[in-house]
Amino acid sequence: MAAVIETTELKKNYGNHEAVRGLNLSVQAGSVCAFLGQNGAGKSSTIKMLLGMIHPTSGQGSIFGHRIDKERESLLIRQKVAFVAEDKRLYDYMSVSQIIRFTKSFFPRWNHTLETYLLERFELPPERKIRQLSKGMRTKLALLLGFARGCELLILDEPTEGLDPVAIEDVLQIVVSLAAQGTTVFFSSHQIAEVEQVADHVLMIDRGQLVLNASMYDVQEEYRQIQAVFTDPVEERDLRLPGVERVKIEGRIASFVASRNVDAIVEHVRMLHAGSVDVLPISLKEIFLDKVKAR
Amino acid sequence: MLLYKAWIETRVRFVAGLIAAAIICTFYMEQHAWLVRWWAAEMQNPHGDHGKEMLLGIHEYGWYLWHYLYDNYLQQVWSLFAILFAFGGLIRERSDGTVLFSLGLPVSRRRWLFTRLAVALLESIALSLFAVFVVVIGSAVIHQTFSLSQVLLHTALMVAAGVFVIAFGNLCYTLFPGNYLSLLLTLVLLGAPYLWLQTYMQHMRDLGRTPWFRYLDFSHTMAGPWHLSWSSTPWVSLLVAWTLTAALIAATVAHGDRLDY
Repeated sequence: MAAVIETTELKKNYGNHEAVRGLNLSVQAGSVCAFLGQNGAGKSSTIKMLLGMIHPTSGQGSIFGHRIDKERESLLIRQKVAFVAEDKRLYDYMSVSQIIRFTKSFFPRWNHTLETYLLERFELPPERKIRQLSKGMRTKLALLLGFARGCELLILDEPTEGLDPVAIEDVLQIVVSLAAQGTTVFFSSHQIAEVEQVADHVLMIDRGQLVLNASMYDVQEEYRQIQAVFTDPVEERDLRLPGVERVKIEGRIASFVASRNVDAIVEHVRMLHAGSVDVLPISLKEIFLDKVKAR
Repeated sequence: MLLYKAWIETRVRFVAGLIAAAIICTFYMEQHAWLVRWWAAEMQNPHGDHGKEMLLGIHEYGWYLWHYLYDNYLQQVWSLFAILFAFGGLIRERSDGTVLFSLGLPVSRRRWLFTRLAVALLESIALSLFAVFVVVIGSAVIHQTFSLSQVLLHTALMVAAGVFVIAFGNLCYTLFPGNYLSLLLTLVLLGAPYLWLQTYMQHMRDLGRTPWFRYLDFSHTMAGPWHLSWSSTPWVSLLVAWTLTAALIAATVAHGDRLDY
């Protein structure tokens, strides 16, 4: 599969603050890629750099082979990318139908069927001014304006923030259905349950650096929490093995996350005279917390 | 659609501009008879003021219109609203929170800027033409005749030189976002030299001197001479105004391209 989004050593500084620090990421065509991170981890800055809204301090990036730091190429990118920002404020002096007419005028491949479906599904009143819509309705409208563009890549920044559970489920279903039709989806979220539901790839960013780049399959099938109780004290260096992410030793108990080589690691642990070894599945949330706490 | 959007955003200001222009034109046409009577009384009074301009004011309604409207108050009102029309764009959207939606569309920053400037220019032209319309109607009501072609030429000159004001206002808004701060700074940065130059250059003209910076007297350039023709049009001053306008727009573009949203 070809990479739709690629960055190399991408950096963004705001004064002395390093928001993004040498980010290397790649998003494959046709994937649903989740972009996870705490508040201020650098997710929005990365997305804004990808779309030419802020300028990288250094490094490079491209979408569909077009460089993100060239205004002319950025324009080509935005013809192929539908973006829904975290702050879903829209022109509040326009009505729902006016902003739909306004937005569709820029996208020749506008999906009229999806527009009609979403207007009905989200119960958006076409003639109502945006300033008179609730926050949830505005979020739904912003998502409609993104989904119906008929673009090859959908970039969503916290797409379900402010939505009720029913609307969240609707949105996730639409994301999955667009991905099934070949749209690449790159979305940031704090809602790890949503990510587990729809994503097939996970990128995790912390303090501007990528800390996890794995497929959901790997996360679900390969990542394991291992807990071993030793008869004799062990040191952290004894457990530094390929695939071991972080080791925590409390007395004779060692617990760590393994991202691969689980069988080999368990064998090694047994060789270190572990009395008991428990291998447990680990959720994405636990991996996220582990990665964030590790730093 | 971008023009439509910019129009929706500025239409309240535009209507306010129309009202202001109507008030200023109507007021001075309504004052015409009273001022003529007063000037006539002054001329007959041996101890009164006998300025040359009074004679023109009494006998030439066209001069009266030019002096009070195009050389003074309409020009000032027009300039103020031209500045206001130029305010806004992506900088304003940043504070409104809609800039990410706008920048997510396949529209370059320059296109956003030039759309804004185009709408400001079109509204400024419409405002100046509306003033002509008010003058035509008002003059008919007060039974005065004037050369429509001269008024149209003065309108064209005011707009042609006044594009500088639009570009200046937009640059100020880009550099110092915020309606009130931008307006205040624009008025200070533009108004102070404008008023000083207007006064100083009038004094110089009375003395028969022509300093080199007469070309920067935009107020005089926008007004032109009373009888405007191809040969009396201040072409050099217009060229200076257009050059500075181009420089201001280039600075706005360069700054806008570098901004992070």
